[in-house]
Amino acid sequence: MKSVVTTVVTAADAAGRFPSQNDLEAVQGNIQRAAARLEAAEKLAAGLDAVTREAGDACFNKYPYLKQPGEAGENQTKVDKCYRDLGHYLRLINYCLVVGGTGPLDEWGIAGAREVYRTLGLPTGPYVEALTYTRDRACAPRDMSPQALNEFKSYLDYVINALS
Amino acid sequence: MLDAFSRSVVSADAKTAAVGAGDIAALRQYVAEGNKRLDAVNAITSNASCIVSDAVTGMICENTGLIQAGGNCYPNRRMAACLRDGEIVLRYISYALLAGDASVLDDRCLNGLKETYIALGVPTQSAARAVSIMKSSATAHIGETNTEANGGSKFRKMETTQGDCSALVAEAASYFDRVISAVS
Repeated sequence: MKSVVTTVVTAADAAGRFPSQNDLEAVQGNIQRAAARLEAAEKLAAGLDAVTREAGDACFNKYPYLKQPGEAGENQTKVDKCYRDLGHYLRLINYCLVVGGTGPLDEWGIAGAREVYRTLGLPTGPYVEALTYTRDRACAPRDMSPQALNEFKSYLDYVINALS
Repeated sequence: MLDAFSRSVVSADAKTAAVGAGDIAALRQYVAEGNKRLDAVNAITSNASCIVSDAVTGMICENTGLIQAGGNCYPNRRMAACLRDGEIVLRYISYALLAGDASVLDDRCLNGLKETYIALGVPTQSAARAVSIMKSSATAHIGETNTEANGGSKFRKMETTQGDCSALVAEAASYFDRVISAVS
């Protein structure tokens, strides 16, 4: 799993040297930013279900045709799966906030997503809409501190860019 | 390879759950102790060659047969290999201490080490003894409990802020113990 610490250790190991001052400084820089990340991860974990529901509702409100026969949300089972997938993305964002890098999203969310969605005939637009809604709905003093929100939104943008 | 952060992510993913408040509290502890941890890694890396050479010397003093003809440290070539291995083990322990997780030590150093030593005829008992001396001196450097009486001419105290680092000393000691139990 890629993170600042593992990247530093991998590089040091490839060179066969002990962790250098540069390596320690890199880790320290990561640690200094960690408070905001962990706050965002904690708040997101606490509100994960509510955030998922709001995001899913927003996307089905914007694209009501999705619930028509032959579309991606034609029955309740399929609708539930859409909510489940959104929950997965938000959970992976929680992991990214913990690790401090995009490793979990890359490895477990984005790699192969395009191919899977194409094979299943799923539109990615509604996912983008749902996550955009989450991004624009989150606000600083109410949900989390501004710096934490900044970290959270940057990962939301990362998923949005990957899906759009 | 995992660190303290990705370890909690992997175990949360196994349960398909988000990383919750309990795990995050433990990670906040890692962050709060971050500077201490970096000082601890620095204490090991700055004194690495001293820690290694003292450990190998101690091992040989206790068992002088190692440097007599037929001993496993006998020609310089094999002695050099011994010093090199000591340094490699210490290096992976420093990585594990930096990451706050033993996976790098397990995957890249200890996996198959005992089998290799047995195949090469390296006495694992002596190897374990050298690691245990490294443990004593490394933990003394991290906790700054080394004394002039023990250190002798090589006595050195790291110039770091004084504080309670017993948790880090215990963590570092656990990595050395891991190596000892892996080879013996």
